[in-house]
Amino acid sequence: MNTITFTIERFDPDTDPASHTESYTVEINEGARVLDALHAVREQCDPTLAYRYCCGSGQCGSCSVRVDNEPVLACMHEAHDEMAVAPLNLPVEHDLMVEMESYLQDLAGITPGIFSGYLTMDANEAIRPIRDCIECLACVSECPAIAVADFAGPAAMRQEMRIALDPRDDRDRAALTVDEGLFTCTTCQRCLEVCPKHIAIPGKAIEKLREIAHREGLTLPRHQAVADMVRSSGRTVDRIMGTVLEQVAEVIEPVGEVRGEVGFFVGCMYNSRLPETAMKMLAVLRRNGIRVIIPPEQVCCGSPLIRTGQTDYLPSLQRTNIECFTSRGIDTVLTMCAGCGSTLKNDYDTPYRVIDINELIAEYGIEPPVSSSVPMTYHDPCHLKRGQGITEEPRALLRMLTDDFREMPARCCGAGGGVRSGLPDVAANLGRDRREEIAKTGAAACVTSCPFCEFHIAEHSDVPVINITTLLFEAYEKMDEESGVDPGWKDLPCRIINPKTAE
Amino acid sequence: MVNIMPGYHVTDCHVLVIGSGGAGCRAALEASQYGETMLLSRTLTGKGGCTVMAEGGYNAVLAEGDSTGLHFEDTMRGGAYLNNPDLVETLVSESPDRFRDLAAWGSVFDMEGDCVPAQRPFGGQRFNRTCYAGDRSGHEMIATLTEQIRNTKIRQVQETSAIDLLMDGHRVAGAITLDRDGNLGVVTADATILATGGGTRCYDISTNCAAGTGDGFALGYRAGATLIDMEMVQFHPTGAVYPPDSRGRLITEAVRGEGGVLKNNLGERFMERYDPERMELSTRDVVSRSITTEILEGRGTEHGGVYLDVTHLPAEEIERRLPIMLEQFLQFGVDIRVQPMEVAPTAHHLMGGLKITPDAATTLPGLFACGEVTGGIHGANRLGGNALADTQVFGKRAGEFAGKTPAATLTVDVDEILSTEAARCEAYCNGTTAPHVIARELKQTMWDNAGIFRTAEELNEAEVTISRLQNLVPKAVHRRMLNECCTVTNMLTVARLIIHGALLRKESRGAHVRSDIVQNWTPEDSPFGHTVQSIFGTSIEEKGEKA
Ligand SMILES: Cc1cc2nc3c(=O)[nH]c(=O)nc-3n(C[C@H](O)[C@H](O)[C@H](O)COP(=O)(O)OP(=O)(O)OC[C@H]3O[C@@H](n4cnc5c(N)ncnc54)[C@H](O)[C@@H]3O)c2cc1C
Ligand code: SF4
Ligand code: SF4
Ligand code: FES
Repeated sequence: MNTITFTIERFDPDTDPASHTESYTVEINEGARVLDALHAVREQCDPTLAYRYCCGSGQCGSCSVRVDNEPVLACMHEAHDEMAVAPLNLPVEHDLMVEMESYLQDLAGITPGIFSGYLTMDANEAIRPIRDCIECLACVSECPAIAVADFAGPAAMRQEMRIALDPRDDRDRAALTVDEGLFTCTTCQRCLEVCPKHIAIPGKAIEKLREIAHREGLTLPRHQAVADMVRSSGRTVDRIMGTVLEQVAEVIEPVGEVRGEVGFFVGCMYNSRLPETAMKMLAVLRRNGIRVIIPPEQVCCGSPLIRTGQTDYLPSLQRTNIECFTSRGIDTVLTMCAGCGSTLKNDYDTPYRVIDINELIAEYGIEPPVSSSVPMTYHDPCHLKRGQGITEEPRALLRMLTDDFREMPARCCGAGGGVRSGLPDVAANLGRDRREEIAKTGAAACVTSCPFCEFHIAEHSDVPVINITTLLFEAYEKMDEESGVDPGWKDLPCRIINPKTAE
Repeated sequence: MVNIMPGYHVTDCHVLVIGSGGAGCRAALEASQYGETMLLSRTLTGKGGCTVMAEGGYNAVLAEGDSTGLHFEDTMRGGAYLNNPDLVETLVSESPDRFRDLAAWGSVFDMEGDCVPAQRPFGGQRFNRTCYAGDRSGHEMIATLTEQIRNTKIRQVQETSAIDLLMDGHRVAGAITLDRDGNLGVVTADATILATGGGTRCYDISTNCAAGTGDGFALGYRAGATLIDMEMVQFHPTGAVYPPDSRGRLITEAVRGEGGVLKNNLGERFMERYDPERMELSTRDVVSRSITTEILEGRGTEHGGVYLDVTHLPAEEIERRLPIMLEQFLQFGVDIRVQPMEVAPTAHHLMGGLKITPDAATTLPGLFACGEVTGGIHGANRLGGNALADTQVFGKRAGEFAGKTPAATLTVDVDEILSTEAARCEAYCNGTTAPHVIARELKQTMWDNAGIFRTAEELNEAEVTISRLQNLVPKAVHRRMLNECCTVTNMLTVARLIIHGALLRKESRGAHVRSDIVQNWTPEDSPFGHTVQSIFGTSIEEKGEKA
């Protein structure tokens, strides 16, 4: 027997004006689950505690609660001392019970027909990966798009895709889902992150439904404009300033000893909108002994096409982006754009290793920068945190850069999934939500590591939004200023301008 | 303190279905073709009950070479010939069509070729007959059925329990209900279907979900229905043994179906000594007794089980065919791809229950029953995969024949009945003992004294304990606890029915083993038939006579 003390958020609709937190100390068995701890509260402290459960084995989806702010199945998650148990982010009915009935009612099935044979292997294999849903609604409770837009939500999109894939039902799902808010999803992958059955709703349902919508001509006009641009120029954005690829030499030798070598995939945003940021990152690597090779023929990774379902042109992009590195014998490719990194890692079958700048810094180690006392917070880019599982590396780096690091809850800023371009209002709502969270921390700067987040949050935030490598760059500059020594790390070798291509 | 005069309301429908597991959902879908149907369940629709937890699969004769005759024989032999042959005939001949219904409604069972359902071997069957969706077969069924229910006009009343059947003379005319806040209600119906599932939660170690407390057996019994073979409790051979709060959680038979082997702490594949022919895929009663014997004779593991090992199978095969098992064990720190599981028997299924005809009619007019709450289909031991089939075959039949019941007019005073129920609730509010305290002792005595090996002496001891517990009044400190009080009262009734059945049956047969009785007959020529219990009396059928 172990004794644990933990809190539960309670709410009794008959007597409480608002929810409140209560602390309980109970005896539980070794290896007890959260559900066992709740049973213990009911038996040892308060028999009126209300919560749902039934199967006790992760299969009925009744028992979702938040433990320390993350949704879990109470019957599967191990209980621990000092945990904070709260209901899902859905309308609370009573204590840990939330309103589920109305959402579930809308998850209807295929139109029943007369039996006319079983599924083919292909149809079966296609449906299987999104069929395991136990309707626990964890995904729905955490989806940022639902909170700000008219969106049926991840579980419903999963169900729509499941029906779309089923040859036994020939209704047109795509048109319907567009009305249900298909294009409001930012593909932030929060739903996948919290799903106890690991159902890849963004990749396996939402982007696939968008593909169908695309085939049916339902793509949003602004998304279509982006795709046209990629087709004609290989890039998602037009040229309004000198790009990284135009300015920087193909090979950047470090200032000192060569400790490593990587190819660099620049990405449209850094190349054409934030070239300064990219070049500061390159300077940081130059100072730290990493040789960088930048094939100039690289093009858009295709992420904006995949996220919006316009995948017909994708194979040609993929070919170019793979060959430009393999033809130079490069075995590790660096990304600094979280979206490109996630796409190369998850939507490509690359013969080379893809590494994000935060991973690279953690792996090779860097010259320690000076730390500042400015309070800073960090925004987790969705495509870094959930797309690539990178959360600790940037924090470790940031702790080297400030003595006053302040956490805020990780939530999508609204820039992803084509929402910023397609449905700016929805994106703006999420951006404002970020501003509030940043303000709550009291930080004087918000640090992040994704061009989309940088751009988008900057539009809504009251404090400056800084790329993490820019911060590092500035710290090194300050060190040089103080010591009066500058080994010339900032002077990146220039590209020999070809007058024809540079207009 | 407590609001003891609960508000109530009366609603009416043509068919009332109590329970939304596989049987209840199927019954409601069928009944809704005949008139207004109400689906009442203690939990959210589909989320309660054991169907959603079923892992292994659904038996149906689909493949060439198999036949309903073979399925019939396997089921009768597995059931130690205590099964009601008419019910078995219905089960095996209609199970394939009901499987096709599920396919027409959108089910996604595994295929082994284009449009050819995959079927795996299961214990006690001579043919690979068990259709499956990985190891989440029951979930696949429930998903399909609930999605279809949402497509219909069926009225779902969720998180509301039936606490008694509403009697109009001898006819069942609906049910008294209690919602999760402790408010009483009445549902009147022309026909009522009990589909409340099983009740092995009456045992300390059980595979069942929290709703598996056997309410339906008790409701039927109190209303005067006849129950048969209540002593027939299946102990599944492979339940988890660790950590303590997860004891009893089912390790699906599919683990053995896919090639898992059982070993004792000496590394011996001990099934060679008990059933060299069928080995691990012998019937559940045999495997359970073998494992228990190994443990009792000191060849068990650290946590009091034996090893179940799949490490010789390729990792990808385990990942694909047993994903839930893999995931569940990983959560408890065991990687079954490289480490053996530890298992021991666990109370799994009640083969006994309400006596029904092939039309799912009980002995009471107006009352139908389907699914695990019924008796007679599985005899003295159920074959893996037959229960899911049973829910669909008899669920459909219950829905159809209940639906065809003519409209009835109520001749009883509902207010009077409600005030009786309110008095019962009031008694709970003034009760003596916390319901979980009663439940805990009940479960322990059932496990210790009415388990795998039984003697008259121990059964009598269990009965003494149950009688003592029945004299306590479960206490509700808040009206929201009234449900729990009703449940524990029902559990005591079920426990008593199991004990009485076990005392009545002075032979070993199938899952029921009386180690204090020496017999010289095989199941096939047993002089005994069903044990029969109702409020009007108890008996055991002797050969040549019918109850
Ligand atoms: C872990 C596990 C695995 C299994 N695997 C298999 C398998 O692979 N193959 C197979 O054939 N069989 C299997 N079985 C057995 C099979 O799942 C059950 O026998 C079958 O699903 C029972 O279905 P049911 O509809 O009768 O009851 P359930 O599915 O148990 O549903 C009962 C319903 O009744 C409701 N209810 C109960 N009491 C009340 C009340 N008082 N008022 C209102 N509602 C009430 C519950 O909320 C629930 O909705 C398994 C059982 C378990 C426990
Ligand atoms: S990816 Fe993000 S926005 Fe899209 S459905 Fe999932 S949680 Fe919602
Ligand atoms: S998709 Fe996953 S998180 Fe969402 S309801 Fe289904 S099981 Fe739960
Ligand atoms: S109780 Fe069923 S999933 Fe947790």
